Amino acid sequence: MFNKLITIAVLSFAAIGSANAAISQTKGDFEDKFRQLDESLPTPNVYRNAAGEPGHAYWQQQVDYKIKAKLDEEKRRIEASQDITYHNNSPDTLKYLWVQLDQNKFRNDSMSAMTTTFGGIGNRGPATSTASSSKPAQLSLGALRRQQFTDDNVLGYDIQSVKDTKGKSLKHTIVGTNMRIDLPVHLKPGKKVEFSIDYAFNIVEEDAVSARSGYEHFPDDERKGGNDIFLLAQWFPRLHAYTDYEAWTNKEFIGRGEFTLEFGNYDVELTVPADHIVSSTGALQNPKSVLTATQRKRLKEAEKADRIVFVVTEEEALENEKEGTNKSKTWKFRAENVRDFAWASSRKFMWDARGHQQGGNDQPLVMAMSFYPKEGGDLWKKYSTEAVIQTLQVYSRFSFDYPYPVAQSVNGPVGGMEYPMITFNGPRTELQDDGSRTYSQAEKRFLIGVVIHEVGHIYFPMVVNSDERQWTWMDEGLNSFLDGIAGREWDPTIPWGVEPRDIVSYMKSSNQVPIMTQSDSVLRLGPNAYGKPAVALNILRETLLGRELFDFAFKEYAQRWKYKRPTPSDFFRTMEEASGVDLDWFWRGWFYSTDHVDISLDKISKLRLDTKDPDIDFNRLRQEELDKPMSLTDERNKAEGKKLWVERFPDITDFYDENDRFTVTNKERNKYNKFLKDLKPWEKAALERAVKEDKNYYVLEFSNKGGLVMPIILELTFADGTKENQYIPAEIWRRTPKAVNKMIITDKNKELLSVTVDPRWETADVNVDNNHYPRQIIPSRIEAYKKKKSTKKVSRDIMQDIKTELKTDDDEDDDQDNNE
Amino acid sequence: MMMKMTTKTTMNKIVVLTIGTLLFAAFSVSAHQQKTAISTVLFNARTENIEIMHRFRVHDAEHAVKEIFGKDADIIDSKETQKQFGDYVNQRFNLFASDEQPLPLKMVGVELDGKFLWVYQETTQPTKLVNMTIRHNALRDLWPQQINTINVEGKGKLQTLTFSDSVELLTLTFEH
Repeated sequence: MFNKLITIAVLSFAAIGSANAAISQTKGDFEDKFRQLDESLPTPNVYRNAAGEPGHAYWQQQVDYKIKAKLDEEKRRIEASQDITYHNNSPDTLKYLWVQLDQNKFRNDSMSAMTTTFGGIGNRGPATSTASSSKPAQLSLGALRRQQFTDDNVLGYDIQSVKDTKGKSLKHTIVGTNMRIDLPVHLKPGKKVEFSIDYAFNIVEEDAVSARSGYEHFPDDERKGGNDIFLLAQWFPRLHAYTDYEAWTNKEFIGRGEFTLEFGNYDVELTVPADHIVSSTGALQNPKSVLTATQRKRLKEAEKADRIVFVVTEEEALENEKEGTNKSKTWKFRAENVRDFAWASSRKFMWDARGHQQGGNDQPLVMAMSFYPKEGGDLWKKYSTEAVIQTLQVYSRFSFDYPYPVAQSVNGPVGGMEYPMITFNGPRTELQDDGSRTYSQAEKRFLIGVVIHEVGHIYFPMVVNSDERQWTWMDEGLNSFLDGIAGREWDPTIPWGVEPRDIVSYMKSSNQVPIMTQSDSVLRLGPNAYGKPAVALNILRETLLGRELFDFAFKEYAQRWKYKRPTPSDFFRTMEEASGVDLDWFWRGWFYSTDHVDISLDKISKLRLDTKDPDIDFNRLRQEELDKPMSLTDERNKAEGKKLWVERFPDITDFYDENDRFTVTNKERNKYNKFLKDLKPWEKAALERAVKEDKNYYVLEFSNKGGLVMPIILELTFADGTKENQYIPAEIWRRTPKAVNKMIITDKNKELLSVTVDPRWETADVNVDNNHYPRQIIPSRIEAYKKKKSTKKVSRDIMQDIKTELKTDDDEDDDQDNNE
Repeated sequence: MMMKMTTKTTMNKIVVLTIGTLLFAAFSVSAHQQKTAISTVLFNARTENIEIMHRFRVHDAEHAVKEIFGKDADIIDSKETQKQFGDYVNQRFNLFASDEQPLPLKMVGVELDGKFLWVYQETTQPTKLVNMTIRHNALRDLWPQQINTINVEGKGKLQTLTFSDSVELLTLTFEH
């Protein structure tokens, strides 16, 4: 009896493992790459719900500051007093408050200083290296300078008093970079407490200690004794965040993990030398007392200008930096709903501005402004403020209108650092011997890139207030992803950001930790917290979700958490919930594991459907037999002229000499007819149609060598020269994560010639050698380079070749050797 | 925060301090970027060569050449500077075979590709190689905090070596 099943030879789906429960078990080696993250993520609650949204009882504290600070230029010292209003919006009663004393990091007895390893990795700041057999230990002059600086200067906060509103001293205990203030009356939910702190500290020299702020000295300026640029950040005792997920986030400031802060309103008065220009978080409240009428007029003009307007010109700045003053001025700023406050002050600054008319109700006009010394030069004049505006345009599309009145870029000693409404950026021009200032192409790219990156941080994490002390990737990863978009929209020929191909050498390397690692413990911070998450998001947008779904979900995340404090689970849940696509496998693979992508196409088998009709199938089998190569022995026998027995005795034959083993008899035909008769009408119809269409059946065998499950993107090339792309979702790996087979059916005349996996290099597949079937020889970079060298136009040294003189006929033909 | 990068370049000053019996060789570093390079050492079965492909960031290389070869060095537009940088890497990267003999590395070329600068070297594969020792000092003599990572591929399981801290020589063993 014929079996009703239509059998397709060769085809078999190997079931690997049968476990379907836990991620890792003793039975079998099945790993559930698609296991939902629910049990790994924190349990949703009334503060953070299961959608990744602020819950119905979401709360966060508010801290308002009134600060009066004086910059002592001579002593490079800040003397200040601040009134703090702490609003307890939490459901808890607080007996004490924790304050961050970041300046204490620079003390010689800080945890940061005491745990700096000699020659260790991952330190911020000047380098050292221990001795080895062939080389003595190295101590960079930078490390010596840092050590001498911290020896010679009293660093850290001088906390002079902590008092309540009645002037009564409050008990306070300093613990490293933290300070606990005990409250005489417990602070009940919904209540607020006011207190004040008088403090002072000596400003660090940024170049000596590698901080995120500090002063830079310019000894060569015309003014006797030179000038300084002061960048002030982490410059006042700031309240630690008190959160629903960690309570007090009072983890010691060691250096790498940045800041976790509360939103609040700031009124800040900054008293500085009268000839200084101040750039600050917030809106200037007293322009009439600190700016000239001309400067105010220029600022007004800039609001609607098409190009930057100089509020302080280069000539004015150069004149200004030639001499000092002993007078002072007080600049007053107010900033609403910011999580931090930073500022810069110098007599060296020129100042340009251009209004960004973004429209909308929140903040129709944003003043984009840049402050820089002559050392910033043309590089800054051309690109800084423009890059600020480009950032606002692109980032707002992905999130919300820029919510603050100003967005600033300030040049100083810090390579790149972000604060609300103000960023510090390092690139400069180079002074040449002829007195001119030039900059290289890479420096130009760096300036545009760093301004976009730092201004981008005003959105993430200054407004979408993620916890930087815990998770570097939440602000750096998201921001690197977006700065890549803004950069490419600036000029796609400038290679920005993060293509999947750029991260493969990191991802396949063996010494790394998952993205989900606390900031101070991350190995190789750059690729871990900036590059890899940015690539992951890029892949999510361009390949997995598509722009429409991704952009909707990402914007939803930004808007949900605007002015609020998201955690990683809130991001993961929002992206999944808003896109409607299960992404748990993606977070698991990219953020929780160190797996990499390496999908190999091992084999393709071509199959043909049995018709069950003996008159067709037996013929095919016969043809198959005939198509096999002839036996060598038979062929050689023939060549030697060997006469076969059957040829020598042609008279002795029988039935089998006329009929081969593929001869069909009525026995088979009856069987076939019975088979047809037993088929239900729909079965018969299906078979008849399949036989008539006679399609090509291909089985593709894939293996996953990197561990990370990803979609399989195929480019199919057919014999007729056409190509077709197929996208197989990652879920194909869900039951057999190590290997899968996939059948592809094509029309009879569509014969498959070759297949390429991930032809556009969009999945970060680390090995393209095994992406082709039939296998192709993929030249290594060196092989490709050697080949390219001879043909590629870019290898021409045009600078040299252009000197070639045009030959006339009279010249001797001597260019035979000139073959490259 | 952006990885710290400043623009100033200074002459490479080598100060040797003798303190007791301890010798400090000190380098002036003012540009302290988060400096990293990644290289592939590939045992290419087709060519039977060991191919070495170093990937530097253009911005790192740009500052490096100005420190090493002077202000006029231009890694982007000058073929001469690119060649000089290639030679510089060539001098600071060595492979040693099982018998501790250095393998002669041939300079193949330098290629600028977007934000990366590639330096290529190669040598024929020794017939027998049980282990290999690698020295990768490029930029590490300039900036002690430079971290060079190497993926060794094409000979057994991929192995990663990281040159950071005071690491000068790293040895890997090949499983057969």
